[in-house]
Amino acid sequence: MRVSAWTVARSFLWLSLTTYGGAQSAAIRREVVRHRQWLAEDEFLELRSIAMIAPGPNSPNLAILVGLHLAGTGGAVLAFLAATVPGLAIIMAFALLSLDPRLGGVSAALRGCAAAAVGLMVAGAVETTVMRRLDLVQLAIVAASAGAVTFLHFSLWLTLLVFVPIAIAVAQRADA
Amino acid sequence: MVLWQLGAVFGVLSLLSFGGGNAIVPQMYADTVVQHHWIASSTFARFFALGRLAPGPTMNMSALIGYAAAGFAGAAVAAAALFVPAGLIVYVLGRMWRRLHGHAWRDRIAAGFAPVVAGLIWAGIPPVASGAITAPATIAIALAAAAIVLTTKVNQALVVVGAGLVGFVLFR
Repeated sequence: MRVSAWTVARSFLWLSLTTYGGAQSAAIRREVVRHRQWLAEDEFLELRSIAMIAPGPNSPNLAILVGLHLAGTGGAVLAFLAATVPGLAIIMAFALLSLDPRLGGVSAALRGCAAAAVGLMVAGAVETTVMRRLDLVQLAIVAASAGAVTFLHFSLWLTLLVFVPIAIAVAQRADA
Repeated sequence: MVLWQLGAVFGVLSLLSFGGGNAIVPQMYADTVVQHHWIASSTFARFFALGRLAPGPTMNMSALIGYAAAGFAGAAVAAAALFVPAGLIVYVLGRMWRRLHGHAWRDRIAAGFAPVVAGLIWAGIPPVASGAITAPATIAIALAAAAIVLTTKVNQALVVVGAGLVGFVLFR
């Protein structure tokens, strides 16, 4: 299907203003597969799998891929901007408000928010580890990469360079 | 000078941000708090929380770090450096999509990244906690938030808002 770049961008603009608390790819799926019917379910899953193996947050990645698929390069660019700029403007507004010394209670509220964010990280770590049904060797890789970063201060690129090839080899062996 | 550093730090993070944004938290903390001292540890935790609260990816917090380091120009440079390089890679992959279609190697790469990304997400907890877990009440808030997210389907932004109300009452 061919859709105008502006139409695609309008959908992502709406999504980026209304989707709070994660679950962005589920919201994008609802919009482009169920509501607009621009993509079939299997096409969407295909694009999502590319968005997930590429670097970058999933929702802008999906915006680029959906925009490109439906409306070419212009669609990719506009959907990307629609998926990123509003969120950036909103977070800047939040931050400027929180830095305003006249709003004394905001700093106290943010201490609570930051504590909750630690809890969300713990929940996210538990979910990515426990709910993916990793086997024992993969769990060992989880522990080894977390330990290398935390205790040996491995940089991000070194961690990826050392552990990803091991994990790919393990996944390949499991396939065979 | 600071703008160049922001561009370099977030540009590298962008190219290495496999598995979504949360896997780059440890390196982002090491670069922006420990090495360049653009923000304090407690500010990093608050910016991370705002990232969870606002719509869009958590990594929108890059703009806040850029702002703290170099004002609005810093915010623009940090956000562009975090989003554009990864975006270009996705664009190229999207163009090659038909040639890549249906290859088993893609699943294998995804399976290879999964445990390492999980490890990096665990490793992101201590840096954020070091700036956020400052009193016994903050431990209780963190545990409660984790329990709510793991056992219910409540929107995560609402959990952060709720914790903000609790914080407003307790820490004012």
